Amino acid sequence: MTATLALLGRIAAFGGRIAVATARGRVPPGELAAHLHTVVLRCLGPVLAVVFPFGMVMALQGLQIFRLYGAERLISPFVAAAIIRELSPVMASVLVAAQGGSSFAAELGAMRIKEELDATDVMAVDSVAFHAAPRALALLVACPLLNLLGCVSGILGGYVSAVWIEGEPAGTFRSALWDMTTPLDLVASVTKTTVFGAIIGVLSCFLGFHAKGGAAGVGRAVNDTVVWSVLAFIAANYLLTSAFFGGGTP
Amino acid sequence: MRLLAAAGRFAYFLADFARAMLRRPPPAGAVLEEAYRIGVRSLPVLLVIAVFVGTNLSLQGANAFAPLGGQRLVGMFVAMAGVREMAPVIAAAMIAAKAGTEMASQIAVMRIREQIDALEVMAVNPLWHLVAPRLLGIVLVLPALTILAVFVTLLASLAVAVLQLGQSGAVFLAQARSAITVADLVFCMGKGLAFGVIIALVSCFFGFHAGRGPEGVGRATNGAVVTVSVSVVFLNYLLSAVFYG
Repeated sequence: MTATLALLGRIAAFGGRIAVATARGRVPPGELAAHLHTVVLRCLGPVLAVVFPFGMVMALQGLQIFRLYGAERLISPFVAAAIIRELSPVMASVLVAAQGGSSFAAELGAMRIKEELDATDVMAVDSVAFHAAPRALALLVACPLLNLLGCVSGILGGYVSAVWIEGEPAGTFRSALWDMTTPLDLVASVTKTTVFGAIIGVLSCFLGFHAKGGAAGVGRAVNDTVVWSVLAFIAANYLLTSAFFGGGTP
Repeated sequence: MRLLAAAGRFAYFLADFARAMLRRPPPAGAVLEEAYRIGVRSLPVLLVIAVFVGTNLSLQGANAFAPLGGQRLVGMFVAMAGVREMAPVIAAAMIAAKAGTEMASQIAVMRIREQIDALEVMAVNPLWHLVAPRLLGIVLVLPALTILAVFVTLLASLAVAVLQLGQSGAVFLAQARSAITVADLVFCMGKGLAFGVIIALVSCFFGFHAGRGPEGVGRATNGAVVTVSVSVVFLNYLLSAVFYG
């Protein structure tokens, strides 16, 4: 129990150091841009490849329900709302954790094992500000960006499934698309993924930074990053969804 | 081009593995040990994820069907979306993140420490010795874990519907029961089985072909979890389209 609390405290302190380094402007912008570029490129394919079939499945299953009530025209607003509110934020963030977060943990872990991080500190360069903060910030920015692209891909997936495969009219699909979605949904989607990105960024950099025990330790850091960041942001997701949509709305 | 080469290597990996399995039955003790390890170690993580999948399905279902006057539809939506798609896929993604990455990094560490070469020198087939128990172990436990995840998901969404959204529990349960058939549950376990095969084979493949040094281990682990998630979601669509489409 105390050990868990101590660990949470260390993670919070690490997040605090990243925030302070960012606020003081000590994060090199070149590093940030380079990491942002890699993480977006690395995650783009997986995010699109995962959210697209999810949109297809949502349309497939949604049509089953709506056909019972003769309400097939509701399929496109249903797919859009499901993708924007819940599926794209969660699936895109799972992929960002699995691809971006874990690769940053692997990089930082390998640097720790090879004592490159200690070398940075010896040269009087703050290793948190130079190595960890740009990676964490890159994840924080990349997560909402990739989520928006994921939304587009998921809705396209729904279109392919509903119109091309199930033969629903394309005009109805397009004209009814935004019937259930409001600007608040988009704000909620972006807010959620920004928070998830921050969680993934801090956890992955923390675990990579504190890897120990040779090559096996790097593997363990990567493993822990994926498991713990997914758990943490799924729990945060429930709270955020309750705040935005839940609790007594009609 | 690189992708094609990797696909070719994977095909060779599968062929070698099949040959090794046919020649000699896999070690039963090791299979049970792996099954126990994968099943029990992944259980807490899986249960936590299942709870939050359920809570959010309930919240979003209530929200999406509100314009239809469809408070009654929440039970049906949760049962259909949860049992058919969300619970099996998220459970598989979580097992991939927990057990799959562990397989990949263990085997990758053995590779870079040349323990796999040592096995070959001792005339023990590493595919038979390392991959077979992991594959059979995950195949044994994943259907059960999937059905457990489904159950916990439904329970959590019932709790949210009743306690947070103030709906009637009896209506929710009646709706849920009308939406799920035994065939759905069996199919859901079948999905778990198929996902288990993918998780084990792909994770072990990435471990076997790890590059040098600590980065190699990290990259193998990373590649395994991403490849598994993408292929699980694709396979899920194919299976759903065949079964329900």
